[in-house]
Amino acid sequence: MKRTLLALTLVIASSLAAQAQTTLRIRGSDTLGAKLVPALAEGFKKQGGKVSFDIAAEGSSTAFTNLAAGTAEIGMSSRKVKADERTLCRSKGITINEIEVAWDMITVVVHKNNPVADLKKKQIMQIFAGDIKDWSEVGGTPGPISVYTRNTSSGTYKDFMTMAMKGREYGSNSQKMAGNEQIVSEVASNANGIGYIGYAYSGSKGIKVVSIDGASPNPAAVKSYVLARPTYLYTNGEPTGTTKEFIDFCRSPAGVAIITKAGFVLVN
Amino acid sequence: MDSSESPPRPPLRTLLVRNRKRTVLGMDPQKVIKYFFGMNASTAVIVLVLIMIFLLREGIDFLPTYRNELVTYRRAGLEFCDIIDKPLKEHQSLSSSLRQSVSGSLETLSKTARDRRDAAFLLRNLAEEKASRQRETLEQALEQTPPPAADKLDILRREQQKAAAEAATSLVYPDLFTAAEKQQLQTEFAALTPEVTDLPPFLQTLAADFTAKDREARTKFEDLVTAQEEFEEAPEGLQEVLDELKEHAQETKEKADEFHVLEINRQRLLEAAAKTKDADEKASLTEEAEASVAEEVNIEARTKELTARAGELREQLEIYVKAAEKASASLPQEAGTPAATAMLADVRAKLPVHVKEMRDAALQLDTWRSDKPVSMISVIGAFFFGSQWITNSSWQDFFGFVPLLTGSLVIALIAILIATPISVIAAIYTNQFASEREKEFIKPVIEFIQAIPSVVLGFIGISLVGNLIKDFSEVSWLQWVPGFPIQERLNMFNAGCLLAFMAVPTMFSLSEDALNNVPRAYIDASDAMGATKLQTVFRVIVPAGISGILSAILLGLGRVIGETMVVLLVAGNRIAIPDFSAGPGVIFQPAHTLTGIIAQELGEVSRGSSHWQALFMVGIVLFAISLLVNWCARAVARRFEPHKA
Repeated sequence: MKRTLLALTLVIASSLAAQAQTTLRIRGSDTLGAKLVPALAEGFKKQGGKVSFDIAAEGSSTAFTNLAAGTAEIGMSSRKVKADERTLCRSKGITINEIEVAWDMITVVVHKNNPVADLKKKQIMQIFAGDIKDWSEVGGTPGPISVYTRNTSSGTYKDFMTMAMKGREYGSNSQKMAGNEQIVSEVASNANGIGYIGYAYSGSKGIKVVSIDGASPNPAAVKSYVLARPTYLYTNGEPTGTTKEFIDFCRSPAGVAIITKAGFVLVN
Repeated sequence: MDSSESPPRPPLRTLLVRNRKRTVLGMDPQKVIKYFFGMNASTAVIVLVLIMIFLLREGIDFLPTYRNELVTYRRAGLEFCDIIDKPLKEHQSLSSSLRQSVSGSLETLSKTARDRRDAAFLLRNLAEEKASRQRETLEQALEQTPPPAADKLDILRREQQKAAAEAATSLVYPDLFTAAEKQQLQTEFAALTPEVTDLPPFLQTLAADFTAKDREARTKFEDLVTAQEEFEEAPEGLQEVLDELKEHAQETKEKADEFHVLEINRQRLLEAAAKTKDADEKASLTEEAEASVAEEVNIEARTKELTARAGELREQLEIYVKAAEKASASLPQEAGTPAATAMLADVRAKLPVHVKEMRDAALQLDTWRSDKPVSMISVIGAFFFGSQWITNSSWQDFFGFVPLLTGSLVIALIAILIATPISVIAAIYTNQFASEREKEFIKPVIEFIQAIPSVVLGFIGISLVGNLIKDFSEVSWLQWVPGFPIQERLNMFNAGCLLAFMAVPTMFSLSEDALNNVPRAYIDASDAMGATKLQTVFRVIVPAGISGILSAILLGLGRVIGETMVVLLVAGNRIAIPDFSAGPGVIFQPAHTLTGIIAQELGEVSRGSSHWQALFMVGIVLFAISLLVNWCARAVARRFEPHKA
């Protein structure tokens, strides 16, 4: 029984692999997958790449589960692969290959009418950990703070925890949102809201970027911004065929232009 | 036609079955057909059993896995650190009150200056935003290398200035400013250009005014400010030691975990090597498996290092407690506003409790043992009565079920409270009072609601209902409603409204059926007694159909508890037990639910991990609740069933 099942999956997988020449399945991080990678895919197609894209962005962890299951050619991740994810893929016969795409800056945002324009790093930690509960504690208009975070499958969720909160737990008053867009729309509709998003979203309507210790996220000075981090694409082994063409496109001047326009930064 | 004369043709069945005495697998065809029908009916039962087995198989291992995790949590000394860390959290909450009290007091002097400053800066941002298109064009032109021709730049500059001037006149200047000041602001905003980065003079004055007022306020409330700062800094020494210990404990745990993970990895790789047929691949996998070996860490020894510092911890704790008490004693009796004074009193009242908790914690340090066994009952308790659901944590994952359960129950309750009157009254009307034409209209319309996909409802909840509730809550004559004005547009009430909408068709149809099933004789008897229509409906028909109505409500409840998409999108996803001290206003708080957590987290966890199993446990409980509700519905229907006339 097991054998027939296995054979069946193999047949399906191989037929899918044959199809993969025309379809690139990309799974993983919402930070990359919501704007940047679709824009790159669009650019790649315009440039004459004969391929259709199937992109789903539900958090970095899904990049590796999909790669391991063979249901994706490329995984997007806003964090490095964990050791156990690497071996999980390895045990399924998949060797993970890492490609750094661009740097992203996690941007802390508040409602556009909020008078608070700058926060100290410690205050940000205290706000997201639930120690600071009211805007009056950081010099704002009195009112209880509503904290919006990404959900637990997000690479940004964990990155923010290590980079901004010294590994502390999010406060129990935090609300877990599915993606950057949801955080933007909630912060924009709540005068007492605060949240964090990828830099690419920082121009959205109704929100205001808060500088941290006086430093605003700025593409010209990525590495000096405390919440900057690299983002990655992962493939099975060295990329070949269409996958390789697509990755090469990301490195080409046209690709770099798209990356910069999407609010990401290239660091050499 | 001659068919009337000729003998009737034998029915098809007789032709097929009776006349040919064939047997299939030793059974006659009638039996085969019977079994075929029976099989179809039993498929549902079999699938249900399979689902149960699957859920149990994935979920049942949760308890031992979670127990292992809790054992590591204890053995590696994380629990030891939490003994102090947990009560120390109260310090943050007291600090928060003090900070609010300070800022409330300072505001008495500096509020006007701050409001003026904030309003002016807000206006400036608005002005810039309104002229943003021209502004950005000019900015881009200025950044270009080589710079564009001077006359071109001039055109851009003129356009930008025109836009800025228009924006400045279109703004509404609040009455915080005098007419002259308004005029000055307008002039300054009209002159805003991207080429000057310095603040316009009046804005600078406003900012300086605020700084001066703030300083003045700080001198006036010096006692309070100093006491607050002292209190805030009190635990620094303790925190430092605790952080070191926590780091140590975490390292122990990580090393233990690493050993465990590497061991599993090795097994996995070896398994994969055994399966593969390619010799090279096999060799490489085996090699990797051999490389995946870690040294086992001596947890006991590392934890001893931790407990050895208990004395130091106690010492620091005593220093903290003394400092906190001193700071609290030097708090002034009066703050700037009644609210701020109340907060000070609150802090003073809570501090002794906190101090006692801290000292109790210090005593616990002695009795704590890293090798105390974790009993299965305590694991079950930790799951079913745990108040924390923390996953993907860098410290320790906790799977406590209560916050999710309360979220689900409160939302279901709201939905049922809204849906019951609507659907039951609609059913009574349709069944008893409506004309035939009305019936033909109402029934399909209500039943059509069921056809709306729940994800569509979820979007309506986000984009429409949420904003409606929020706008409504800001209406001034409605402020007596508890919880108004609301802050979160995604909340339990919003989800409850949408779920009520979804439950109405089920409850309406079933209630209507129940009323239909009331024996005609009851109604005739009532009419014969000379009862009016209303009397018949409320004294005879509804009581007779009450069992059906109750079971309709219960089935509606089952539908509401199991609904996922709407609550995931709309309930606000805050994993905390709702704060019931807010009274009925609690319904406007966000919450997370049993179904929502499965949908949100199952996609990302690795198969077989404790998190995965925990989600399956949640699934099992959800399944059990649904079964229970359905069983209740059936029991109710049977218990009160009217005797058919």
